[in-house]
Amino acid sequence: MADVTLTVDGKTITAPAGTLLLEACRKVGIEIPAFCYYPGLSLQAACRMCLVRIEKMPKLQTACTTQVTEGMIVATDTDEIHQARKAMLELVLANHPLDCPVCDAGGECELQDMTFKYGAGGSQFVEIKNHREEQQWSPVVFFDRPRCILCYRCVRVCNEGMDVAALGIQQRNSGSVIAPNDQTQLDCEQCGMCIDICPVGALTSDTYRYKTRPWEMTHVGTICTHCGDGCKTTLGVRRSDDGMQIVRGDNRDKSGLNGEFLCVKGRYAFDFANNEERLTQPLVRQPNGEFAPVTWEDAIKIVAQKFRVARDDRGGASIGVIGSTRNTNEEAYLLQKVARSAFGTNNIDHHRTTDYVALTRALAGKKHRMASIADAGSAPAIFVLGNDPTEQHPLLAWNLRTNVRHNSARIYLANHRDIKLQRQAKSSIQIPADGYAAFARFLGGEENSVFGEDAKALRDALRNEPSLLIVFGSELRGSAIDALAEFGLSLPDTKFACLGDYVNSRGAADMGLYPDLLPGYVPIEQEGGLRAEYGGRMSQQAGLDVAQMFEAAARNELAVLYVVGDDPAERLGVDADALRNTFVVVQDMFMTATAKLADVVLPTSNLYEKSGTVTNTFGDLQLVKKAADRAGVRSDLELIVRIADTMGEDVHALVPFGKGVRADMGQSRGVQSGEADRHGIWLAAHNLEPKLSPFDPNAVLDEIQRLVPGYNFDRMELLAGTSQHVDADGSGVMEISRFANRPDGAMPSADTLFTSGTLGHYSEKLNEVETFQAKKSMVAAD
Amino acid sequence: MSIVRDLAAVAKGMSVTFGEIFQPTEVENYPDGPGPFRGAKFEERYRGRHVLQRDENGLEKCVACFLCAAACPSNCIHIEAAENTAEQRISSAERYAKVYNIDYNRCIFCGYCVEACPTDAITHGHGFELSSLNTTSLVMRKEDLLAPMPDSPAKLESSTQ
Amino acid sequence: MSLTSIAENPKPGSTIFSPELAARFDKLVTLYPRRRSALIPMLLYAQDEIGYVSDAAIAEIGQRLDITVLDVRNVLTYYSMLRTKPVGKYNVQVCTNISCMLRGGQEILAHCKDRLGIGHKETTPDGLFSLEEVECIGACSWAPAVQVNYDFHEELTPESMDALLDEYRSKASQ
Repeated sequence: MADVTLTVDGKTITAPAGTLLLEACRKVGIEIPAFCYYPGLSLQAACRMCLVRIEKMPKLQTACTTQVTEGMIVATDTDEIHQARKAMLELVLANHPLDCPVCDAGGECELQDMTFKYGAGGSQFVEIKNHREEQQWSPVVFFDRPRCILCYRCVRVCNEGMDVAALGIQQRNSGSVIAPNDQTQLDCEQCGMCIDICPVGALTSDTYRYKTRPWEMTHVGTICTHCGDGCKTTLGVRRSDDGMQIVRGDNRDKSGLNGEFLCVKGRYAFDFANNEERLTQPLVRQPNGEFAPVTWEDAIKIVAQKFRVARDDRGGASIGVIGSTRNTNEEAYLLQKVARSAFGTNNIDHHRTTDYVALTRALAGKKHRMASIADAGSAPAIFVLGNDPTEQHPLLAWNLRTNVRHNSARIYLANHRDIKLQRQAKSSIQIPADGYAAFARFLGGEENSVFGEDAKALRDALRNEPSLLIVFGSELRGSAIDALAEFGLSLPDTKFACLGDYVNSRGAADMGLYPDLLPGYVPIEQEGGLRAEYGGRMSQQAGLDVAQMFEAAARNELAVLYVVGDDPAERLGVDADALRNTFVVVQDMFMTATAKLADVVLPTSNLYEKSGTVTNTFGDLQLVKKAADRAGVRSDLELIVRIADTMGEDVHALVPFGKGVRADMGQSRGVQSGEADRHGIWLAAHNLEPKLSPFDPNAVLDEIQRLVPGYNFDRMELLAGTSQHVDADGSGVMEISRFANRPDGAMPSADTLFTSGTLGHYSEKLNEVETFQAKKSMVAAD
Repeated sequence: MSIVRDLAAVAKGMSVTFGEIFQPTEVENYPDGPGPFRGAKFEERYRGRHVLQRDENGLEKCVACFLCAAACPSNCIHIEAAENTAEQRISSAERYAKVYNIDYNRCIFCGYCVEACPTDAITHGHGFELSSLNTTSLVMRKEDLLAPMPDSPAKLESSTQ
Repeated sequence: MSLTSIAENPKPGSTIFSPELAARFDKLVTLYPRRRSALIPMLLYAQDEIGYVSDAAIAEIGQRLDITVLDVRNVLTYYSMLRTKPVGKYNVQVCTNISCMLRGGQEILAHCKDRLGIGHKETTPDGLFSLEEVECIGACSWAPAVQVNYDFHEELTPESMDALLDEYRSKASQ
């Protein structure tokens, strides 16, 4: 739109026509206070704090609803306006209790800030303030009515942003009150957006309320560990008896690719880290069959010795390695490097939840065809095939809803069940649960009587889209993805994304946790490159996948199984008998089903307790920062290096010292649990400078950046907290049909908003919310 | 001239000295005097060991707002907050201090915490015997700092009888 | 998970209203560019028929307009003339706004309270009368005025108020 020029406080400013006056002023650094105005939500003009004087208008005008026009002359900083703001604050404070010392919002309250800046010290009201008791609306949401200033932000974010409409406004004038939808309780997704968007302390969260104050916490921006969307979350941590404890999760600073959005898991389900069942001592199985705690040195010595003996006596192929989808890229990369170059095995795999390999292969040689999650918020048309983003990928659903609201994006859905996103969809069809592959071929032009007129109409509509984003779930695998990609690539401008379940599902795939693929989906047979780096011990034979490893173990062909942060026994239903002749080492936070079968269990830290990077399912690479800390546990990165070192491997070759390493001088290591000291001693013993730590994920990241195809990102941008999109080139990848057809080829976790695999099981708050929701749906069914 | 000025200054100073020499001697009978301070006398505004006050109902005044900890220049106050429940009410507001530690190794008795307190919960008492051979004993917990419970009416009655 | 945002309780097709009113509602929702614009007239008609806006009525109206129960309640609670609780057979609404106040509206209200033994927004135990203090009912020229259900009674005095209440009481016993 054309620009207009206006004058604000004597300053000439230019803004596109149609911009709100308040936004135009903020752009040039003129602050106009407002409670009810919130970028991205509909306009309310309820709080009257943004009043300004516009020449030739009889009264003061609300800057949040006035559009800029040519020649407008505005005053925002006069005595008249100060008086107006002061009067508004006096009205807002008429019934607002002065309990700032106990209020959760104290210290980060917009009303406090405004009162300091514009308000009066006293009040002309002599009436006693109305007091109402606090209400608990759900396991996570509390409402303190007198503190509410009726800005309607919560109502709007719930209606518009979340499309849940669980909050309304009842009664009128001074009796107005925010009301939940189910009498005195909330029947909603429990996302907590209303709490974070509240400018005051009217809505408070159960996990944080009355625990501490904002300035008492350390705030660390890291990545949520729960689903594949990779939302940034700012964790507030406080010192506790055994490390640093997370007290709060939110993203109020709107940084990162998710803006202010977080779902119930990102906001509240960090408490798995404090579960008392958490392991904090290495455990070794004794001859009597019981676990007994041992020292870290002994545990690592036992493990390293077993690994070395197995490799030397029975060959590398007798060792199996299973990686994690919740560890960092650095850990996944180092794990497969150690497995290939130190153990000499290609028996390495992870929990696949979708088929990244097929998509990468289908898009081989095509640049910029993999979408970023930001594209879901800006693409003019999006086709979602399978999956239920509202439940499984909340940020994707949020981006899609926002895109429809702001840009009138067209959403097309094809799914075998009713999903909530249908309410935003332009067109939506139902297909059989086993008909996804057929539907992908149908889109490509193959006629099929299963799909009726509505499917044809959808296909025609997609064909006419000048620019399209195709997002598909794990329902599509192997050749079905080929068919879909072929259809998409026949359109003028198409991007793709496939939806995996865990925070680093994509990273684990990119980092080559495959029996036949090296990092960056490079086939194992390919000469040069990574093979040259990994040395002579590396085998050219493709290894075993997860299920085959257990089969091999049952045949007594697997001497050692090394499971890093995964629970295959639970997933595949492995019994103890199958592993009776295999030495099993498990690195995990909890006594999982696999850990129960293990010979050695090493307690590890979770994603909130380490540094590194993760790649979300869209291929957005983001920085993970160490927030919490727990005495007694160690990161998987450290354990992998320590085991390799104790085996007698050359750690200098394993971790790339001196190859353009930009070490972090120790910032990524925590001081709270003595981690830095411990590392310092180890480094001194190895004649290494402290800054060249192999426990420093940045050193591994350097190698990833140097060697992994697609991971050529801007390091400074990444360190600054910006997500970097990575896009591996899959040329050379062959059909991996044996995965696509196997039952474990991709096992989607089928997590909902209120479950999160193993972690959800150990999160008390998430379980509480789930019980609450189950009770609600039972009542609704009656 | 300067010699005269210097001599005048010396004379002025010495006049105070000689004036005091002939005053009657005051001796405080510490530590053998009566009372909790064993004869030590204080100015009313002497800043000694802190006392956490209670309100007229015996509830703790402290609501764990952390403002004292924020104001403390030597960072010697450590608080952990918790929520009052209907069954167990510790303070009169929603929140109370579950843990309230003052590290007297670090406290400089500046009184900023008392200034900052919005509920007049923390005050400086006159306790001054803080020396110890063990530094860990100088970290005082809430139990060490709290004012005693006001006597209940029943107890008062029985004591007057 | 149940996101029962659209009211689901009443079975589609069945209605708690009389056939005439149901037919009227069917037509009403077609008259506006947006369906939900019919909300306020529907609430008023429902109240006229049932005597108040019951939970079942709220649920059915929400379903007819394709909006949530919460949406219906948001509007319903805004208007003081819409009720969610039953009232007596005769709802005595005494105006105490400026004109009526100057001409003795407060005395009429006090008299009614005394005579009926109930306060503002209360109902007599026999369910005959409810009393309500209301803002201007537009009968300023004939103040003080009282509205009983939809009937106006003007220029009242405590005596004529007594007569009025007696009249309604005898009407009810017929």
